Amino acid sequence: MDHIELSLTQSLDHCIKCNICTSACPVAAVTDAFPGPKYVGPQAQRFRHAAQPVPDESVDYCSGCRVCNQVCPTGVRIAELNARARAQIVAERGMPLRNRIIARSGLVGRLSSGPHAPLVNFTLNFAPARWLIERVMGIHRHAPLPKASTYTFRSWFKRRKPTVNGKRPQVVYFHGCSTNYYEPRVGQAAIAVLEHLGFEVIVPPQRCCGLPLLSNGDFPAAQKQHEYNVTHLLPYARAGIPIVGTSTSCTLTLKEEAPELLGLHGDDIRAVAAGTYDIFEFLRDLYMQGRLRTDFRPIERAIPYHPPCQLRAHRIGRPVLDVLGLVPGLRLQESRAECCGIAGTYGIKREKYQIAMDVGQPLFQFVRASGQDLALCDSETCRWQISHATGVATRHPIEILAEAYGLQP
Amino acid sequence: MQTISTDVLVIGGGATGTGCALDLAMRGIRCVLVEKGDLTHGTTGRYHGLLHSGGRYVTKDPQSATECAHENAILRRIMPHCIEPTSGFFVITPWDDESYGDVFVANCQRTGVPVQEISVAEMLRREPVLNPRISRVFEVPDASADSFLATHSVALAAREYGADIRTYHNVVDLIRVGDQVMGAIVEDLRSGERIRIDCAYVLNAAGAWAGKIAAMAGVTVTVVPGKGTMVAMNHRMVNTVVNRCKLPSDGDIIVPIHTVAVIGTTDVHVPDPDVFGIEPEEIQFMLDEGEKLIPGFRQYRALRAWAGVRPLYKDKDVASDRDIPRTFKLLDHEARDGVRGILSIVGGKWTTYRLMAEQTVNELARRLGNTQPCRTASEVLPVPRFEHRAHSTVTVSPDPAAQTPYYWLGKPLALVESEHAAGELICECELVTRERILAAIDAGAHNLDDIRRDVRMGMGPCQGGWCIYRTANLLYERRCANGLTHTNANEAIMHFLQERWKGLTSVLWGDQLRQARLDELIYVGVLGIQYLRPLAEPGGGLVTQHPAIATEYVQA
Amino acid sequence: MYDTIVIGAGLSGMMAAIGRAERGEKVLVLAKGYGATHWSTGCIDLLAGCDDPFHGITQLAAQRPHHPYALAGPTMIEGGIARLRAICEAAGYPLVGNLNRHMLLPTALGALRPTTFAPVTMIAGDARQLRDGRPTLIAGFAELRDFFPPLIAANLRAQGIAATAAQLAMPPVGRQRDFSPATLARLCEQPAFRASLGEQLAALARQGDYARIGLPAILGLKHATEVVRDLQNRAGALVFEIPTLPVSVPGMRLYQILEDEFLRLGGRIQLGGFVQRGESISDTLVAVFSEAAAREQRHAARRWVLATGGILGGGARATPEGYVRETALDLPLQAPAGRAGWFAPRFLNEEGHPIFQSGVRVDERLRPLDAAGRLVYDNVMVVGGALAGFDPIREGCLEGAAIATGWMAGMS
Repeated sequence: MDHIELSLTQSLDHCIKCNICTSACPVAAVTDAFPGPKYVGPQAQRFRHAAQPVPDESVDYCSGCRVCNQVCPTGVRIAELNARARAQIVAERGMPLRNRIIARSGLVGRLSSGPHAPLVNFTLNFAPARWLIERVMGIHRHAPLPKASTYTFRSWFKRRKPTVNGKRPQVVYFHGCSTNYYEPRVGQAAIAVLEHLGFEVIVPPQRCCGLPLLSNGDFPAAQKQHEYNVTHLLPYARAGIPIVGTSTSCTLTLKEEAPELLGLHGDDIRAVAAGTYDIFEFLRDLYMQGRLRTDFRPIERAIPYHPPCQLRAHRIGRPVLDVLGLVPGLRLQESRAECCGIAGTYGIKREKYQIAMDVGQPLFQFVRASGQDLALCDSETCRWQISHATGVATRHPIEILAEAYGLQP
Repeated sequence: MQTISTDVLVIGGGATGTGCALDLAMRGIRCVLVEKGDLTHGTTGRYHGLLHSGGRYVTKDPQSATECAHENAILRRIMPHCIEPTSGFFVITPWDDESYGDVFVANCQRTGVPVQEISVAEMLRREPVLNPRISRVFEVPDASADSFLATHSVALAAREYGADIRTYHNVVDLIRVGDQVMGAIVEDLRSGERIRIDCAYVLNAAGAWAGKIAAMAGVTVTVVPGKGTMVAMNHRMVNTVVNRCKLPSDGDIIVPIHTVAVIGTTDVHVPDPDVFGIEPEEIQFMLDEGEKLIPGFRQYRALRAWAGVRPLYKDKDVASDRDIPRTFKLLDHEARDGVRGILSIVGGKWTTYRLMAEQTVNELARRLGNTQPCRTASEVLPVPRFEHRAHSTVTVSPDPAAQTPYYWLGKPLALVESEHAAGELICECELVTRERILAAIDAGAHNLDDIRRDVRMGMGPCQGGWCIYRTANLLYERRCANGLTHTNANEAIMHFLQERWKGLTSVLWGDQLRQARLDELIYVGVLGIQYLRPLAEPGGGLVTQHPAIATEYVQA
Repeated sequence: MYDTIVIGAGLSGMMAAIGRAERGEKVLVLAKGYGATHWSTGCIDLLAGCDDPFHGITQLAAQRPHHPYALAGPTMIEGGIARLRAICEAAGYPLVGNLNRHMLLPTALGALRPTTFAPVTMIAGDARQLRDGRPTLIAGFAELRDFFPPLIAANLRAQGIAATAAQLAMPPVGRQRDFSPATLARLCEQPAFRASLGEQLAALARQGDYARIGLPAILGLKHATEVVRDLQNRAGALVFEIPTLPVSVPGMRLYQILEDEFLRLGGRIQLGGFVQRGESISDTLVAVFSEAAAREQRHAARRWVLATGGILGGGARATPEGYVRETALDLPLQAPAGRAGWFAPRFLNEEGHPIFQSGVRVDERLRPLDAAGRLVYDNVMVVGGALAGFDPIREGCLEGAAIATGWMAGMS
């Protein structure tokens, strides 16, 4: 075992039992189905043994939001310990059909997007169909499911005429499933911004980052996805070309989640991780190097902004506030709510839907109380959850940045 | 003075004495057992918890090896709830003599210790943290055993058969009339009252303290207390017992037991079993030895260190302490010293306690004219109430591995989960519920340390930060109507904090030092226990300060 | 990008951060996680072992010129406390007390603990009032593992307080189990829960003619003052909170109020990654690096405040070999040489244990010094538990020393 591996498995040793994690856990605050991060994390870990059955099922109620990791003063990797324990349950007992389907966001996206998307969307909006899906699949009838797009981001990107002229610095764009199948406009905005900043954008072949598989405990399948992505991203990482993503959960997975949870610490995997950036992290770096264009049009408005858990887990602060703070007139109101509750696929599950809605209450109240008709959030499932719960349209911050640059994607 | 009369007075509530009491009672011989502390207060409660396969003795002490192999199989049958079948490895590291491997296998075969060589790859598959530079691995049926629980189970069975077992009863003197020992005067440490116990035989099973007891009868028994220091690490980095494949020496074994991995031991002869310390060098040495088996061992968190004293019996004809065998010996003081009415059972080890009891009681029964055969090898032992669900199999996991009467690491957690009892945990580190704490209190605990031994309260990483407070309050609530006052409860907390501190200081650095500071914040900063010092005094049925049970750790 | 970066989010760090932000600076607080606020009582302890804390501090400062109180001086001590009290007051959670007089507040063991300022939710428990002969009730929930009324009441009776214990029934809630202090605090903010609790308290108060009721410190997170006021009205008796084991609900409240104030002043907080090294040009610290996903994050600032705490806070870490290391910037530490001198044989030794006085030695402006007394960084100030030469827990000055030095870093 190398030291990175040890730093995860051995991090349980850092626990001084102080209960800070449990007092901050948004899930334990709303349900007694989850006894709290200390209990299922470092405390339970002392009772887990690779060759024995996982002794606790309550670990499945961890949403993986990682608030615990963030507030822990001693550095226990609680959420990762939990994710691994869940994976062991799945390895032992198999995965329910529902989880097998929702964990394959690439496949689901491919099947639902395209010209037939309106039919898919109609069906998913049709109450009896949702009732049936809940009964058969265990996906809650009210769960926020995204609207499939009639075209994919990749098809748009292939068809478009590049605005490139002359030799420009290159950047790789990792779009992720949501941009490709549900919200191509996010990718279009990202391309517009990056090209406006003088980059040539490359979109190499890529698959789902594997996060839904990781959080549903199917580690072997996640590993296949990650290895595919590493193979296709590695040449760029090796050439020093940054890999930039708009889905903060995809970038986190490439940077840390996949290597850590899967115990993959080879040089190639580390190179890709070290070359991956959340898009606003990348833009903030440009700004600090004096390379960010600031030819912004003023946007005179206040917008509530929720930094999602997956962004906080990068441990890079609030790059969206740093960058959008440069736009004249724009006042972002930062949400201090812990979590929207959805946690990827967690909140769409029948047994967890209400927990997720309860977890998100403080955020929903904040968004509603803002009185604005638009909110911002870096993570797709969180955007869908916020819109679902509040009726307020929620967009990726890159879309506002594109607007500030006066770009029409 | 109250007088009791019985056939046999057993002195010592460790594994051996308790085992003798059960065997006596099973055969219908009346007996009283006295122990100055709690059951297992001496060496039984302070060892690493290895159920020997015999592998450690195959070369130096073949008779012990054979006895261990035999008893190992018996104990698995009669006390499955106390045993975790971890299996054991003997590994040859780069620091060991490569040629000993073949000798080891040959000697295992000669002594009847089952052994099988496995590949290093297989070893690493099962225990990935072990040193990949290990060259050979031999698997033997080592296991880990809960010696606290086992002794309580034996005592429970003995009581059911009519034995009178009295803890916190200290032998003040033996009554000797001429060449005949007639009985003993004992003091009940809770009340200070003295009791006279008349008996046909005194059985001295006081382990490392056997020399002190024998001296009361005017006979010399030389027990060399061999101090063994052990360090418990915060979690089980291995789940198999790991021994260095070489002649036994210091720091050469790691035993995974309950939630911890214990590395042991040293062997330092000390003059007095009640006065010894843990030297910082011993700890550092064991961490260094641990590195050889598990690279990075020093980076793991050490929880606590403690020492026990091996009751090594030095026969009159043994010249050097080094040559003392690990087998046991029954001393007939009539033949040996011309003093009748007293026998001493000395030496031995936990794994062979039952055999020691069998042979001792055979002799006593013959003298008392009792012809009942020994049945301790076949009767399954009962489970104490504070461990009430030990036999239950687990329903939360469909895995057949979970459905076993044996202890397994995840079992306590699986049971707590199946009862949704997370909110009922008093000791969160070791998963002890309120119900089990109360059962231990009701079983007659005489201080918080007794409860610790019964249910592992306070033995996890926080070393009592939360659970000492909680348990003391439960003790007070349960007993305040029966004479336990707030001053006794305050004293119990201070006493136990100090007991824990003794075991902690030698391993305080890194996370564990941070933990100790948090515990200090809790007891001094938040609870203000120092302001209760004038309101603390021993009593109320608790024994905390008595010199008879105080172990003096001398910090070097 | 920042004028000042504060490392550590405990009381000293937050006071420093608020001070700098009030002066119009752009301030970032970088911390691994929550700090000692969440573990302690939520009261402001200035100094134990004296009747007049302010006088005691003055004497202490004269005797021990390297003590944080001596470094900060009376102006910073008074100023910091005044500012903190103003912040809490504005947040509707006043801290009550007097610099020249201790209160004696009951602990969850029934000891009487001296403290100088306490939240308004606790002050009705001051022993001077409790000793007026009128009956006091100590009540809790069986489901809460961190509060046991019988022993508290018995110990209080032994100290001349007419206290009785009672157990409350858990009001009907959606929850069946796991009643942690934080959970109960959230429940207390639900009117129905409070109504049921109030009813029970009223019935008990009538029965026993209780003038005061002591409850575990779980009476609300955001609206504790209102919760206590409401319960008092319903019960017809004064209500006071008694702090429980970590996590401390009053500590969570205090942190929340400080965080609110800091953010209101435009500050930024980043939790989750250890600060693991610094970058300097001669004696100027120019940047620090915090642990983050896949790579470190670099943070640049003009000025720095190190508020990482001591052994408990994580600012100092000891090795098995007997060394103590400063974790964020690898500053030289003052610590006992070798393990032999680390501990006293008795856990409750009055002077505490020497290892816990380990910390950074500083000059009169709180800047770090090396063993030879030379300045290490010109633009770094060290505050709170990270400082050498005192034992905040044993001396009973945990909050006081943090506020005084934190405020000094915030003001100078």
